[in-house]
Amino acid sequence: MEVLSSLVSLALIASAIRVTMPILLTALGAVYSERGGVVNIGLEGIMIMGTFFGAVGNYFFAQAFPSLVARAPDVAPAAGVLAAVLAGVVFALIHAVVSVTFRVNQIISGVALNLLAAGLARFLNILLFTQATQSPGVRGFTPIDLPLLRDIPALAPLVRGISPMIPVGLLLVILSQWVLLRTRFGLRLRAVGEYPLAADTLGVSVTRMRYAGVLLSGALAGAAGAYLAVEQAHLYFEGMTQGRGFIALAAMIFGNWWPVGALGASALFGYFDALSLRVVRLPVPYQFINVLPHVVTILVLAGFVRRAQMPAADGVPYSKEEE
Amino acid sequence: MRGRLLLLQIAGPALAILFGMVISSIIILAIGRNPLEVFGLMVRFSLGRTDSLFSILFKSTPLILAGLAVAMSFRVNLFNIGVEGQYYIGAFFAAYVGFSLRGLPAAVHLPLALIAAVLGGMVWGLLPIVLKLRRGAHEVITTIMMNYIASAVLLYLINDIFRDPTQVGTPRVRTPDVAAAARIPSLAALFSPFGLTGSDVQKLNALLLLGVLLAFVLAFVLARTRFGYEVRAVSANPEAAEAAGIPNARIQFWVFMMSAGLAGLIGLNDILGFFGYLDIDFPKGLGFLGISIALLAKNNPIGVIPAALLFGFLDRGAQGVQFFARIPKETIVIMQAIIILAIVVAYELLTRYIRAQRKLEAEAAAPVGPPAAAEAEP
Amino acid sequence: MSDLFIELQAITKRFPGVTANDHVDLAVRTGEIHAIVGENGAGKSTLMRVLYGLYQPDAGTIRVRGEPVAIESPRRALEFGIGMVHQHFMLIPVFTVAENIILGSEPSGALGSLRLREAETRVAELCTQYGFVLNPATRVDTLSVGEQQRVEIIKVLYRGAELLILDEPTAVLVPQEVDELFANLRRLREQGKTIIFISHKLDEVLQISDRITVLRRGRVMGTVDAAGTSKARLAEMMVGRPVFLELDHPPVAPGAVRLEAERLWVEAGRRQAVRGVALAVRAGEIYGIAGVEGNGQTELVEALVGLRPIRSGRLRIEGRDVTHARARAIRLMGVAHIPEDRHRRGLALPLSVWENIILGHHYRDAFVNGPLLDRQAIDAFVRARVRDYDIRVADVDAPALALSGGNQQKVIVAREFSFEPKVLVAAQPTRGLDIGATEFVQRQLLEARAKGMAVLLVSATLEEVLSLADRIGVMYGGELVAEVGRGEAGAAELGLYMTGAKRSERPPA
Repeated sequence: MEVLSSLVSLALIASAIRVTMPILLTALGAVYSERGGVVNIGLEGIMIMGTFFGAVGNYFFAQAFPSLVARAPDVAPAAGVLAAVLAGVVFALIHAVVSVTFRVNQIISGVALNLLAAGLARFLNILLFTQATQSPGVRGFTPIDLPLLRDIPALAPLVRGISPMIPVGLLLVILSQWVLLRTRFGLRLRAVGEYPLAADTLGVSVTRMRYAGVLLSGALAGAAGAYLAVEQAHLYFEGMTQGRGFIALAAMIFGNWWPVGALGASALFGYFDALSLRVVRLPVPYQFINVLPHVVTILVLAGFVRRAQMPAADGVPYSKEEE
Repeated sequence: MRGRLLLLQIAGPALAILFGMVISSIIILAIGRNPLEVFGLMVRFSLGRTDSLFSILFKSTPLILAGLAVAMSFRVNLFNIGVEGQYYIGAFFAAYVGFSLRGLPAAVHLPLALIAAVLGGMVWGLLPIVLKLRRGAHEVITTIMMNYIASAVLLYLINDIFRDPTQVGTPRVRTPDVAAAARIPSLAALFSPFGLTGSDVQKLNALLLLGVLLAFVLAFVLARTRFGYEVRAVSANPEAAEAAGIPNARIQFWVFMMSAGLAGLIGLNDILGFFGYLDIDFPKGLGFLGISIALLAKNNPIGVIPAALLFGFLDRGAQGVQFFARIPKETIVIMQAIIILAIVVAYELLTRYIRAQRKLEAEAAAPVGPPAAAEAEP
Repeated sequence: MSDLFIELQAITKRFPGVTANDHVDLAVRTGEIHAIVGENGAGKSTLMRVLYGLYQPDAGTIRVRGEPVAIESPRRALEFGIGMVHQHFMLIPVFTVAENIILGSEPSGALGSLRLREAETRVAELCTQYGFVLNPATRVDTLSVGEQQRVEIIKVLYRGAELLILDEPTAVLVPQEVDELFANLRRLREQGKTIIFISHKLDEVLQISDRITVLRRGRVMGTVDAAGTSKARLAEMMVGRPVFLELDHPPVAPGAVRLEAERLWVEAGRRQAVRGVALAVRAGEIYGIAGVEGNGQTELVEALVGLRPIRSGRLRIEGRDVTHARARAIRLMGVAHIPEDRHRRGLALPLSVWENIILGHHYRDAFVNGPLLDRQAIDAFVRARVRDYDIRVADVDAPALALSGGNQQKVIVAREFSFEPKVLVAAQPTRGLDIGATEFVQRQLLEARAKGMAVLLVSATLEEVLSLADRIGVMYGGELVAEVGRGEAGAAELGLYMTGAKRSERPPA
């Protein structure tokens, strides 16, 4: 009974929302990339870059402008997020060049990107902090209370003292849904993911749209990494993404390649992630609690993939010259 | 044409390695060092010392197996990113057979341990491939998840269940020692007559020979047997293979099992060939290196051998560079990743170029008339 | 002359080893329907791609309304008022009609938001103006082929095209849809649009066009008024000699039933793609299946050769029940299969020619030696096939992707006619082939019939079925809606069955 009630407590849900964020942001990125027809397995690596540059950007900004940060402490974490987004975009650019321009198999390119990210993070960390696996601690954003909702006492753990990145992330879901369904950009992006040749004959640049999708995925995965480092752990350490980039891909699939769907799926993973973090007293060795989200990922993929409607040209390189 | 093709095939990897070196040079320059000196040191350290040569062979042994494992799955259009987890479990299975059985002759115990390792790898590969073939679950994601789960399982087994009781109280988390009969014999005896001794010679073990043998066997199977032909057909066009009566899913299943079984052997170089027990800190990441090696080798089993040697060389060189020049060995890790990115681009461009050349030749040989294919299939 | 919309002068386009367009002159008047005819491979499509900016000519000038221009891209072509209706539709199935039409030039507001309502209104207006019946809010994958073609045409009109190039527009249509298309085209002409109509079907060309330009081997053979010419004369211009358009179809006494399907139900995903189809094919006959593509033919064929599970019903080959047999077992019983898409199902393109020739035979005792392939036996077999079927290949070790389309189909035919098959299932066997290769394949089918094979021929080309088949079944909506003997029904009547407008009163047994 005690176990059961702890499984649905508000505190747990609040924690679930927190840990949902990195998965959600990356899943949103994956939606953009795959709606445009590019599978981005490299999101895990991009997230790693995001965690690293999130912490590093934050740390060095605070070092460089102490007086500014003293007056406006949120500038440093913002700089971290910005650095992470930029790093994510740069990394995604590599994926775009290799898989869109050179039309290399997208899975291979993404896998290589993950290897590169792991090595690069270690290398840079050594350069900056003389050791490979951990950055100094950093300060996160000042927690905020959600206007209007903050006065409802029952919701307090969910709406008071939360990271400002949480409402931003949720707004991004709605925004993304609108962008994909109701804007020129979204229509064109989906067109190149469904039937690039058709889009091409109408003067829509397949390359440009696919680059846009991939770079957006990089920006979002970078932000997701920054969230982990800046808002959750308050530092960078090696392996902190724990495969969340891949879990986000599963969330995107489970969410049927739509932002709103990805939100639902990410919340599911976030819930199990929160369980693993809070070490709810479950009758299982602690090692296994940690991999709960990974187990759920496999279950979800095994159970639901067949119903999904993926973009028709997802994962297929496009070339004008070849028939 | 043939000669030029061969030249091009070699030019691909060579250019990619060169590109990797250029990028690494930029990085080395950026940290204020002279790349030529660093590369010189790397070569001198890796190739100029006999202990380094043995060390490279030792490091290459699991890489050959890892490269073969990944290459086999790539051959049937599956991405077994789970080689990493599969070798954790294979290593445990082998260690378990090694330390739990006593008094068996080596002729029985060692093969038993090897089989256990293969089975361990297969056990861990089973779920992803079944889910892929039955439910369409993407094997890249499921195998990666299985890697994380393997880590947890291993930690649990070594720490909570099979921890060597004599080590409790120390910081060492490891299994009991493997029986001597289950250990892979060292090759040192072959070299001692030539005056070659030392710990690096001692480490080199018979698994290297097994790895090389397996590479040749696989190459033969792929090229000459009916099964190999079917694998190549599935690889080239699964739907055409199916129409020809080749049971696509079954071929994919068995090749994936081969891949996972090979993966199971990777850890043995250290577990049965060197340490003699399974430590929680045993070498990790070899499965991911296998991906790079398979790509570099273009999934050709024989090509895996030089690719693994190259990575062994880079790894050894990185140690030297770190030790003598105080340059982080991660520089070399980055170089490896860059080489992979460059190599896949180079191979892609090469394939396209060769295809275009072939088309040109075919069209030049065809009777005069507009290209029928271009006309009818826009 | 000011009433010329397009004037091409001495256009030359070379590809490696071949001159696709050789000093082509073409003048298209504003407001006319101008047909361009020629065999497959005569250079029609190349010429149109030059005009539409997909290819750049190696020599020659293009004038639009008298002005010399360079057309670097389709976008540029559209600026000159030139639009192309592709033979293979460039439509995104999951988008609505309006979304497909506006893609690339969307009416949009602040922040790039789509004005979908406005788009739908605009599309509806265009439909009214030109007499097209279409609902702009429907998803394209629910439309019939004829409707999809209308979307393609509106797409071009929406972009302000004054000249429409239609590339083989009737290839995918049933006769009734062709009539509707022609009515639409005439209406467009009335409203001042110019149309270039590419085809090799001479009856249609004579029916719809004002003037006709004939291409042969990349050269212009002449431009004639439709009113002043005849089918025979056009055919002679096209081919360069008098042609006999009929194939020799000697009577063959059919033998025992070789392939028998009883009330077959087959699924595609969750859709019932084949609904209770029953048919029997006898030795020495060609059973033709006509129908608009997508009416269950693909799934039927796959079920017959063991590539798709049969949900219910019975399938027998030479009297033996093979309802649940796998592809390999069915092949070994003597069923040969020419797949509808040779690149997808027929060939493993990266593999060598020899490996493709034994594909599906490689498990026969003749070719294996224990677990090993018997390379000597295989070499001898491959050499014999290459010789007998005149496969033009320098080196059987070269990958199949280096072969021309016709030679690729020869590899498949050579392979499938080996080991004395008893049943041949041929799906769209002449698709995409030039006239020579088409003739080759059709002669092979008749020869198979003469040798006593039971041939099931599935073809989207009604003429092909009419000229080759002894009996014809028509598929519509997954059902066999009619079965007629040779000569019992013409194209018009079959067309009614194909569109579902009519069903046979007595459903086939």
